[in-house]
Amino acid sequence: MAQKYYWKGYLKLSLVTCPVAMTPATSESEKVRFHTLNRETGNRVVSQYVDSVTGKPVKDEHEAKGYARGENDYVILTDDDLDAVALDTVKTIDIEKFVPANSIEWIYLEKPHYLMPNDAVGNEAFAVIRDAMKADKVLGVSKLVIGRRERAVVLEPRDQGIVLWTLRFGDEVRPEEGYFEDIDEEADPDLVPLVQQLIKKKSAKWSPDMVSDPVQEALLKLIAEKKKLLKPSKATRGKAASAPASNVVNIMDALRKSVNAELKGRKAG
Amino acid sequence: MAAGHRAQWKGFIKFGEVSFGVALYTAASTSDRITFNTINKASGNRVNRVFIDSETEELVAKEQQTKGFEIENGQYIVIDPEEVAATIPESNKTLEIEAFIPCSDVDDVYFDKPYYLTPDKMGGEGFAALRDGMKKSKVAAIARTILFRRMRTVLIRPHGRGLIATTMNYDYEVRSSKKAFEEMPRIKVEGEMLDLAKHIIGTKKGTFDPAAFEDRYEAALAELVKAKLEGRSLPKPKKVAVSKPNDLLAALRQSAGLLKAAADKPKRTAANANAGAGRQRATRGSASNAGAAKSASHRKAS
Repeated sequence: MAQKYYWKGYLKLSLVTCPVAMTPATSESEKVRFHTLNRETGNRVVSQYVDSVTGKPVKDEHEAKGYARGENDYVILTDDDLDAVALDTVKTIDIEKFVPANSIEWIYLEKPHYLMPNDAVGNEAFAVIRDAMKADKVLGVSKLVIGRRERAVVLEPRDQGIVLWTLRFGDEVRPEEGYFEDIDEEADPDLVPLVQQLIKKKSAKWSPDMVSDPVQEALLKLIAEKKKLLKPSKATRGKAASAPASNVVNIMDALRKSVNAELKGRKAG
Repeated sequence: MAAGHRAQWKGFIKFGEVSFGVALYTAASTSDRITFNTINKASGNRVNRVFIDSETEELVAKEQQTKGFEIENGQYIVIDPEEVAATIPESNKTLEIEAFIPCSDVDDVYFDKPYYLTPDKMGGEGFAALRDGMKKSKVAAIARTILFRRMRTVLIRPHGRGLIATTMNYDYEVRSSKKAFEEMPRIKVEGEMLDLAKHIIGTKKGTFDPAAFEDRYEAALAELVKAKLEGRSLPKPKKVAVSKPNDLLAALRQSAGLLKAAADKPKRTAANANAGAGRQRATRGSASNAGAAKSASHRKAS
């Protein structure tokens, strides 16, 4: 498995412990992203740290994390320091409790992650925990330090793996009373069957097509159009992929370009 | 309807020929992790962030900045914010229900953020009928509209007297669990191992209230900073012993035995379920009182 894991540690049930790795179920990597450019030069704009007192640029190796002890008084913490924080939940997901599936309100579900064994030695232990949760129709409850906070997490067996949800904190979920209390408790009994008929007519199976993004599609189209309008000199300098009309031409371009590059390289050498 | 709260969005719900006014309110906020200040180690001063041209290294003022899409290494297509805005369809302020799907069919991995959905003054009747119809048919609704300058899909489901609308992540933002787990070995556990694990689970069954959970990280970090300031050596993380495949059955048997012994003692198992939280609260002292009080009021809500 050549993917980069977001977190590595251990999954523990009582005296059974296995090495696991975790990766977020969601990612922004496929999203059309823009960079900031300097309008005048067309170059990328990048951020740079400067010393707040001297105004001079700060070298990367001089950047450090500071914990504010007082005004303008910081204790510098290294990553190793932070790893030494005295909580077992930094490295170990110890399942403390099991609750019935569906007993955690959806509103508390914050971010899903996929949890899987990280070493063959733990494959069977992982499977035991997963299959027992499946057989009993329960979710596991534990806690885990993620992003410098200790989070309540729930574990849900799914397919061959486990989905781990971070849960929102109590003070992050707004109490619903202030919103729903004025709403009619009972609907007009004559209307409900009509609504149910409509529901039946419009019933469908869930499909990821329901969450397509037309704006992203429009942006990609806009980018493709602008790419076509680029000056030919620039276009041929780039990858030939910009001309979607025919692959044959693309391959031809690419070959020509490769030949040119070869020739240039020879001259230079 | 929701007096005293500011709506994030106001518009209409439409299904079939029925339409009525509704509003969306933020149901959950995200609180930040502990942020550190970035310090210049050489001087001990804080640092500020400035924006410079990557080639000329000169400062670039805000009004001089524009957006670009990188088509290949170092080559950009300039796209003005107005051009981006033009790709967003005009909003008709209507959450149009495109389909109803069985609640059991919902893939929660797509969930983004929840909003409370309430009727406006005139919409109460249609709202209550939609809510109760969905409840009885055990379905959630998929609706789309322009929200926060983007076409968003929301999943709407009944919740108490109201509805909750959850924005959904886009298809390209979610990896399917099938894909993520496809390379894992297919192991099916049966027999004594499964029975023992189920037995262990049985001794740890309970209920869980997320609202009552408390984060111990800040206190642990303060402790670490104190230790560092006093020149104490920081504790080394404990080595975790991994169960070897050959020992797995023994570990399960031993766990089941231990837990059984604990359960046979005077009735303490039910209390154990929340024992962890209780202990934390005691050691954290008054600092956590405000938090505890807050979560208590939330507990009533859920």
